[in-house]
Amino acid sequence: MQFTSYAFIILWMIAFSLYYLVPKNAQWYVLLAASTVFYVIGLKGFPLGLLLTGATTYGCGLYLKRNLAEEKDELSGCSDKESKKALKTAFQKKRKRVQILYIIFNLGLLVFYKYAVIAAPFMERMSGSGAEFLERVMMPLGISFYTLTAISYVIDAGRENCETETDFLKVVLFLAYFPSVTQGPFNRFTQMKEQFEKEHTFQYDRMLRGIQRFVWGAFKKMVIADRLGMFVNRVYGAEPSVVAGSIYVCATVFYMLQLYADFSGYIDMAAGISETFDIVLPDNFKRPYFSKSVAEFWRRWHITLGTWFKDYVMISFAMSGVGRQISKACKNKWNGVGRQIVPIMGTMLVWFFTGIWHGRTVSYMLWGVYYGVIMSVSLILEPSFAVWKEKLHIRDGKVWGFVRMARTWLIVFAADVLIRSVSLAQAGAIYASFVTRLHIRELFSKELTSYGLNKYEFVLLFVVLLIWLAASLLEERGRDVRTYLAGRPAVVRWVCYYGIVLLLLITGIYGGGYDTAVFMYQSF
Amino acid sequence: MEEKILEILGEHCEEALDYNGDNMMEDGIIDSFTVINVISDIEDEFDIEIDAKYVVAENFKNKEAIIALVQKLLEE
Repeated sequence: MQFTSYAFIILWMIAFSLYYLVPKNAQWYVLLAASTVFYVIGLKGFPLGLLLTGATTYGCGLYLKRNLAEEKDELSGCSDKESKKALKTAFQKKRKRVQILYIIFNLGLLVFYKYAVIAAPFMERMSGSGAEFLERVMMPLGISFYTLTAISYVIDAGRENCETETDFLKVVLFLAYFPSVTQGPFNRFTQMKEQFEKEHTFQYDRMLRGIQRFVWGAFKKMVIADRLGMFVNRVYGAEPSVVAGSIYVCATVFYMLQLYADFSGYIDMAAGISETFDIVLPDNFKRPYFSKSVAEFWRRWHITLGTWFKDYVMISFAMSGVGRQISKACKNKWNGVGRQIVPIMGTMLVWFFTGIWHGRTVSYMLWGVYYGVIMSVSLILEPSFAVWKEKLHIRDGKVWGFVRMARTWLIVFAADVLIRSVSLAQAGAIYASFVTRLHIRELFSKELTSYGLNKYEFVLLFVVLLIWLAASLLEERGRDVRTYLAGRPAVVRWVCYYGIVLLLLITGIYGGGYDTAVFMYQSF
Repeated sequence: MEEKILEILGEHCEEALDYNGDNMMEDGIIDSFTVINVISDIEDEFDIEIDAKYVVAENFKNKEAIIALVQKLLEE
């Protein structure tokens, strides 16, 4: 059951109606019921993995709550500073031990399911309904997302940065909340709990805004991403030796846009659905292709994943005993570079894990290491860059800003060849084609239209990309597009609304030879 | 104490001294690398340990928040 299916729209309408009809303190039960139906019936997901994570998360939260209460109790009866410190350390050690066990268990489940190291040979021997059942048990949907979401709750509870939940069902709802269970964004418990417990009254404008965002997301997914995907799949599916480098350049640029339109489209749809229930999901994209550096790009792309890794990997490492020891040992060495050792190690750790979180291939690991190295090198060279900029009399302005943006696109471009290629060998052949047989002329020949998109499709793509660019530029200037449109004269407003809906209905890619059912990030 | 904290902050990120908003991290003024280095210097200067639980956007939203955090840890 995808967001764009009739079944989902019906589920959404029923849940929406019930949500505003039931007593206010029972509204979150409607969300829980809708999430259960979506996960179990809609996605045909067997909730064993989700319930296991839910139960351990709930149990661990309760333990941490009791441990912290006992610590406070004992500290209140203690006046000596040294004894207080010893007491704190003892309680902290107990908490850490339980948290580590919890993380090992849940990451273990994730690794077991995602990498299927143990499951694969077993499943190969199964067939028919047995295999299908096992596959559902073996591969719980959204595990990459709900596991990290659950871990954030347990770490925050231990750090006293979030209130511990005593209601098991609320923990389950937090993990399984249907707009975000399969592809995020990564929600934080405090923000979600507050919203689940708040009393929500129906507001026509809010409903309308939610639907607008949903339709805009569907437009990005079905009109832009799926259309770009048709070209990208054909080019990357062809034998590398017969495709010109320039066609690969075009396909990779399309892939960069496809990935963005697909994932941000999904997030817009999820946020729009959630908005109709008066639940605000965190921002996950802030127009990343306007970034002037790779670091900024990753602060604007999949924001909640980035902050997750920053908060729970980078900071945990830097503030750990090991991190502090390394920091002390290196701080004043190598002409100032020593103080960057811990941030660099943290960055490499973050990017290694980001790579393996995204995919189980060597390409993804290399992709992660590639970004880690780029970030680390730029961190070391930052002071030198500033000196060179001064020497070369480069002034901050539109031109320099564009050069920096183009540099970011180039870095992302090179990385995307790696993850879109089916193998390292193919990626190597594609990189080589940029140098050995670019054949730019093929971009202006019939060759270009032989990969699934005819010239009319290209014109349509150009138009819809322009619409997307216009909306992005408005947002980049701090305008909310929906509010902006609401303030326009009725004729302009409705031409825009109907225009987008008609484009979606007429030019959206619906089934047929291309599988539109799956969102790209669902496989991560 | 305040002067010393501002000196450390300015050494790592001059922009932070002029920042008057309330989310220095989200506004791209200070990044996590800088935060780690600022913490390290503050810890050395004041002989305190800043636990990971304090490393949240709220405590690094502007220079006043950093000063308040150090003040609180010194009083503990």
